[in-house]
Amino acid sequence: MRPLVDIRDLDFAYSDTPVLKKIALTVDQGSTMGLIGPNGGGKTTLVKLLTGRLQPTRGQILIDGLAPLNAVRRGDRIGYLPQNPRVETNFPLSVRQAIVLGLAGKTGMLRRYAKADLAYVDSLIERIGIAAIADEPIGSLSGGQLQRALIARALAPKPRLLIMDEPTTGIDARGQQAFIEFINALKKELDLTVIFVSHDLRAVTSMSDRIACLNVTLHYHDVPQHLPADLVYRMFACDLEAAGIKSSAGPLTGPFVPLMAKN
Amino acid sequence: MLNQLLTPSLLTAATLAIACAVLSVFVVLRRWSFIGEGISHSTLGGAGTAWMLGLMFPAIEQSRLPYVAILVIAFSFATAMVIGMITRRQRVHPDAAIGIFLVSSLAWGFLAQAIYFHQRRATPAGWDTFLFGDIEHLDRHFAVAVAVLSAAVVTTVCLLGKEMIYCAFDADMAETSGVRAGAIHYLLLALLAIVIVVGVQVAGSVLIPAMLILPGTVALQLSKKLRDVFILSVGVGLLGALGGLLCHRQWNYVPVGPAIVLTLFVIFLATWTTRRIV
Repeated sequence: MRPLVDIRDLDFAYSDTPVLKKIALTVDQGSTMGLIGPNGGGKTTLVKLLTGRLQPTRGQILIDGLAPLNAVRRGDRIGYLPQNPRVETNFPLSVRQAIVLGLAGKTGMLRRYAKADLAYVDSLIERIGIAAIADEPIGSLSGGQLQRALIARALAPKPRLLIMDEPTTGIDARGQQAFIEFINALKKELDLTVIFVSHDLRAVTSMSDRIACLNVTLHYHDVPQHLPADLVYRMFACDLEAAGIKSSAGPLTGPFVPLMAKN
Repeated sequence: MLNQLLTPSLLTAATLAIACAVLSVFVVLRRWSFIGEGISHSTLGGAGTAWMLGLMFPAIEQSRLPYVAILVIAFSFATAMVIGMITRRQRVHPDAAIGIFLVSSLAWGFLAQAIYFHQRRATPAGWDTFLFGDIEHLDRHFAVAVAVLSAAVVTTVCLLGKEMIYCAFDADMAETSGVRAGAIHYLLLALLAIVIVVGVQVAGSVLIPAMLILPGTVALQLSKKLRDVFILSVGVGLLGALGGLLCHRQWNYVPVGPAIVLTLFVIFLATWTTRRIV
């Protein structure tokens, strides 16, 4: 299968502080890749690089054969669901109008939206189950409704790649399950490739074909079933200890040895 | 008959009010009220620089060159672009940076006026106009130029409406959807600089920001529908401008700028109170 996303030998640093080192991974067309890692491990930076908001210090990213900035500017390659989306409560846009804005890049400046694109947005609104609230003000939606509306906006230009940054944060276990089923169904129907960024391991493993563990370097890139338990503990040790949780294996001791080096 | 009714002051106030009202929706939605203040006060900094140049090089002052207008325009656009860079990159907190520009421009304008007065024993040309506006002494050519500029501003907003709305709604997402959010950001600031430079003649640098804040604020209180918000904003802007002119015609000692702003404020107060009662 041809990779839709191809990251080669990628480094990124803020001034002299390295954030990502020697990242090499691919995401096959039509697959879902879960990107996990501890806070500060570089997940959000990688998303910014994938969406063209940062430029690599070294290496290359290709999305459908294009550099991220070119892919973004085409308007129909990447759909993006941001982390903790917030909307002004009094913003004068209906849900439908907010979703249609997702077509702005694809349509281009000084042009009207194509009728076929607007018809597709209407079908998407039906499919995503928000037709009843399509004419309501976008600022009046609940968290779950807003998330669905923003997914619809991301999918409005029929992107080939959907990137979701921590989409299950703040959602309870039942809501998470419903969200995962919803995304899986959409993925099949729209032939999407999905990158799912989270530090919620359960959510990631239950919907990803492959998992990438990121903590400055790439520590694992394979199917979820082979994910070593000790890697998970090591990757999230800082977060767990900060939350006052200890592993049954006892506190983490000794130097951190990257698993890739072990393998 | 139409020629008599359509005086330069009426044409200027009405067309400027429409352009300000359209931009006002973006100013309020993007929380740019303070940016409007920063750009409008920079006009005084530009005028101050012109007065100083006039003192240093009297030949400029005696020439027919509109050097004050040129420097005011240059200062306003430069300030708009610098504020644009600061607000977009956020290396310095935008509020603090705009505040620094605002007070520095005012201070420089006041200092230049004081030095000019000390040297020439006369206030520099346009001093009162920069502070409070002077709509009554505008000629027909200026009024037509304002109408053309206002039409250009409104046309630009109509042509790039979807991009401007998307950037006001969520600039980061707009960029990720392929919109040139940076270009839209600077374009909107340039449009603001245009109406502010022109508006200084109508309401003065101190009061022109009100024409960029109040119409949009009132409209957003009254509706959550995009088209209605723009129509209401233009209606409120026109009502304020025409109400202010009418007050000035009725009571000649009432200056136009404060009359326009206070009419807008009364409309704001009325809608705000009504919304809380109903």
